[in-house]
Order: sequence, then C-alpha cells, then structure tokens
Amino acid sequence: MRLSLLGEVLKNITRRASTIKYPVARELTVAPGSRGRHYADLTKCTGCSLCAIDCPANAIAMEKLPQPLKHNPRGVFPVVDYGKCVFCYQCVFVCPVKAYVTTEVFEMADYSTDVSRDSSLSTLQSGESP
Amino acid sequence: MSLTLCGRAFKEVAPRRYVATVEASELRRAIEAVVEEEAYISSISAIDMPKEGKIELNYVFWSVKHRAAIVVKVAVDRSDPVVPSISDIIPGAVKGEMEAHDLMGVVFEGNRSLRRGFLASEDVVVRGVYPLKKDSGV
Amino acid sequence: MALVEIPIGPQHPALHEPVMLKVRADGEDVIGVEVNTGYNHRGVEKLLEKNSWVRGMYIAGRVCGICNAVHTQTYVQGVENLMGVEPPPRANYIRTIVMELERIHSHMLISAVMAEVIGFTTLFMLIMRDREKAMYLKELVTGNRVHADIHVFGGVKRDLDEVRRSRVLDELRRVEERLKYYRRVFETDYTIVRRLSEVGRIKKSDALKLSVVGPTLRGSGVRSDVRFEDPYAAYPEIPFSVIYRDEGDSWARMMVRLDEALESVNMIRYALERLPQGPAVPKAIPRTARPGEVFSRVEAPRGELFYHIVSAGGTNPYRVKIRTPSFLNVLNTESTYLGHRLADVPVILASYDPCISCMERVLVVDERSGRRVYMSLKELAQVGFG
Repeated sequence: MRLSLLGEVLKNITRRASTIKYPVARELTVAPGSRGRHYADLTKCTGCSLCAIDCPANAIAMEKLPQPLKHNPRGVFPVVDYGKCVFCYQCVFVCPVKAYVTTEVFEMADYSTDVSRDSSLSTLQSGESP
Repeated sequence: MSLTLCGRAFKEVAPRRYVATVEASELRRAIEAVVEEEAYISSISAIDMPKEGKIELNYVFWSVKHRAAIVVKVAVDRSDPVVPSISDIIPGAVKGEMEAHDLMGVVFEGNRSLRRGFLASEDVVVRGVYPLKKDSGV
Repeated sequence: MALVEIPIGPQHPALHEPVMLKVRADGEDVIGVEVNTGYNHRGVEKLLEKNSWVRGMYIAGRVCGICNAVHTQTYVQGVENLMGVEPPPRANYIRTIVMELERIHSHMLISAVMAEVIGFTTLFMLIMRDREKAMYLKELVTGNRVHADIHVFGGVKRDLDEVRRSRVLDELRRVEERLKYYRRVFETDYTIVRRLSEVGRIKKSDALKLSVVGPTLRGSGVRSDVRFEDPYAAYPEIPFSVIYRDEGDSWARMMVRLDEALESVNMIRYALERLPQGPAVPKAIPRTARPGEVFSRVEAPRGELFYHIVSAGGTNPYRVKIRTPSFLNVLNTESTYLGHRLADVPVILASYDPCISCMERVLVVDERSGRRVYMSLKELAQVGFG
C-alpha cells in the first residue's frame, strides 16, 4: 500500500477542475436559504427597535423616516450597516411582525459604506403610498 | 444524593455535578482526594465578588470513574488573594492557575510559572489592572 | 551541536488566540518547549458580562470559528437551565445534527492540515475539496457554511423542512464514502504511518494528570466522551460508540478523529431518519435568568468544552468562564515534545488539533553564529524530512 493515493491522483487528472473561477466565471452559488443581505420592509415595520436592541454587533441603527414617508407611529426604521453585520439573523428572528426581507445576496464587498437604507425606503415607494 | 471523598460530603447540585466548599487550608487535601478518583482538571474559574469582599475559586474536575463533575469551591480574601498551588498534585492545573493569576490577581503559592501578561495584553499589565475584576474599569 | 532556540509563532500557530512555542533544540533534538500566550486575548469573558443573555448567544459562537455551534450549545444549554426553559425534542435533534456536521468538517480540516504539515500536499488538497461537501450540508441546514447561529433559548431559529432533510441524507452518503477512503489512507499509507506513529506519545496514566481532553485523551486509551458520559441535546437517544485507541501517539489521535467522523455520519443519519415531529422554533425567547450558577459541558470536536455561567439574576450574566479544549490540549502538553526531532514538533502540535489557520512563520536562530533564518512551519517540517 505504499502508493495508496496514486489511483486517486490518476482519477483526478481526467476530472473537471474543482477550482471555481470566481469572479471571472460567476458560477459560485450558495445553498438555498443561505443567510444573505436583509432589509426591513417598511410597510410592515412598526419601529419597535427590538432588532437594534438585540443586535450583537451593534450594526442596526434606528433612523428617523423622512417626513413625507412617515409610516409608523414612532417614525423610525432600522438601518443595517452591512460592514458591521455578522449575519446571525437575530433581527429577522426577533421581529414581532416579520418585517425583514431576506435574500441570498452575499457579494457585498464595496468601496463605500453599505447600508440597508435605500432598500428599506424603496419598499415604501413601490408599495401603497402612506 | 451525595458523594463522600476523604470524609467530605459533595452535594449533588444538578445531575452529575457534585460541589463542596472547603477552607483554603484544607484545599490541597481535598484536591488530592478528588484526583484519586481518576479525575482530570477541567477548569479553574475565579469569580470576583466585591460585595462579599472575596474571590471564589472553583476547581472543576471531571471524574472518569464516577462520571461526574466534582467541583471544589474555596473563597479567598479579595484584598489578599493567596491560596496554595495544586500544580504539583495535578500538573494540568499550572496553566489554569496562571490564567486566574493573570486575569484575577489570585496568587497561587508554590506555582513558580505565575506571571502577568500570560493572557492579558501589555497595556493592561503595565497599568497593573486585573481585567476580570468587577471594579477594574476594563 | 549548536543549541538552537526556535520561536514558533507568535502569529497564531494554535489556539483561538495567537500562541508562540519557544522550542529549544540541541541540534535536531528538542530539549525544551515553552508555550507563550497572550498576543491576542480578546476578553470574550468580559464582553459576555457586559452584554445581555441574548447577545451572548452570538458572542459565545464567535469564540471559535470552526466549533461555533458547540460554543453556542454550551452557552445556550447552560443559560436555558438558568432560565428554566427546555428545548423541544425536534430542536434538540436539529442542534445535534448541526453539531455533528461541525465535527465532521473539523476533523476533516485537521486531517488535511496534518497531511500538509508532513508534506503531503496532494492529500491536503483532496481532503479540503471534499470537506466542502460537509460545509455545504451545514449551509443547507443552518444558512451559513461556517457560523451556524441556529441556537436560540428554547429551540432553534430555523426548522428543517422535508426537502432539506432528504437532500442532506442524500449528500451524506458521498461524504461518508470519502471519509472511508481517507480513513484507509491514514491507516495504511506507509509515509503517514511512519511519520506519525511513536511521535508525541502520551501514556494513559499521564493523560489524566496532564488533563488533556477529547481525541487526545481518547487516543491515549481513556474512554471519556462528554456525549456519552454527560449526555446533552439529543445524544441520550442516539446510539453511538465511543472511539478510543491505546497507542497514545499522534497517529492514534488522527485515527480516533477519522473514526469519530464516520461515527458522526451514522449519528446524523439516525437523527435525520428519526427526526421527531412537533415545533422546533420558539415563539418568543426569555430574557431574564434566575440567580444561580451552572457548569455546562459539551464535547467539541477538540474535546470537552466547559462554560461556568454565574447569574445574579437580571438580563446580563454575572460571570462566564470559558475553558476551551485547546487551552488544555496545547498548553499542558509541553513535555510531550521532549526527546523528539525538531521536525516532529509541527506534527505533535497538529495532532492536538489546535486552531491552526494562521500557522505560518517560524524563526530559526543559530545561537553560535547569530544567523537568523525565517521559515514557514511547513518548510521546517520538510527540512527535517530530507
């Protein structure tokens, strides 16, 4: 058994390479339901701040809603800073009205600060007007 | 249910967890009795209790023979935390004692490897602060 | 012969914190080893005191990347005890599945690292390729290939649906097939057996004195496994055998790990096939705990993981003492290096399964000439090989 790996190595010569040529060929996929970028759906959010209290990375800040868009009585909404976020999804779990929209987007390397503000605000603009 | 080792009763506080509180002077005898029971030392955890003015040391053993965790508790004075070292009875305790010394300031008499900076960072050591003490300001 | 002092590190050769091994060598023979720590003590214990019970769940999970689910389990089961909540059986099964998947990929990682350390890069590449299958399964179940974050007080955060369950069962067969192959390689390959056996031996009588845990303890013939002796989660209901070997050397420790990984495959299969019905996700989580203390133990891939959680009531822990298995396995085994060759040092260190991710730089100082040579640990292993 001195050359026990030889068969395996020879078999691999004819196989397709297992290296993924990312990002040149974009074939990198994640498992369905993977925890990716998430944002609050403001048509549901009540501004209760529970997500911000529980966030272990202090990545969620409650911001004031722009005046014409004031949608919940408290007038605040959560903004997730993806640079700080550890994607534990405690906010998604703890939300009493299940307001968080979850995605499988994981490509978040960016030059600028990446926050969920615009994604959240767009849920108001596309939905019914307040 | 309780377990008697060396004439000392260990109370079962939870399933498979036996606890006894001893005086610092009896500590070494108690530990010797526990080690006899095919036990390895799992942890030495120091708890700062400023209100009571003491630091509580928990010597946690796992006995393969009894299939139970045996905990020996000893309270030391917070202003002068000195306790005899058990590192010659069970060599596995050396690093646990070093950790408790570095982070909580407990002095284990007889352990020659004790030093600051074993785990704590340089700036904490220079200030002479024991980071896990409740009033350390860390 | 030149007396040589070789600092291995301090850039994280081993634990969850960077560690330096100061090796004193007379020529090729190791005559003394001193472990230096403290390069990056992150103060997780203090951090846990300052944060709420709920936040602590995620902080505990981030003590170690590889074994995050077991860290969370240890913390959560201890706090659940203090909070007086009991997870439903289905949640316990899901937790167990996640933890066993973690054990498989952790053991595959150290097998790969061991192969690399002894200069067997082909095997390293092969194992790492197949380890990705186990990581994928974990991602499928929990939503992330590394950080499970699935525990929550009184259950799990996400249920395992039928589609995922059958998919995991399906993929598991391929993982098992590869594991069996690697086990055979480690058992029979001439180079590996010659390189690992009789290296870093710990006798059964010394193992308890040195207080090593996990595969290191079981590799020395002590039949001690927290899952068996002090069962938690769904382990009381899942049959498995405790793997142990009497040789006590590096090779025995690796074989224990590979056998355990195969045992884990069977355990996951058993748990998936008999997954109890009922709820797994709690509606709301408790936030306050009663005063008291709890000693929480879990079998991590590297050995017994211990949390001593003290509560004074309220929303924050009073004190959390964490003792990771590597703390005992790496720090207490300085004496096992003695009498071996310099090239065996990386092998022995790797056989204790330290978190090896950043093991990189070694500085060789020839004390007579004062000549300094920088080498990576791998190069050092290969120099000794030739």
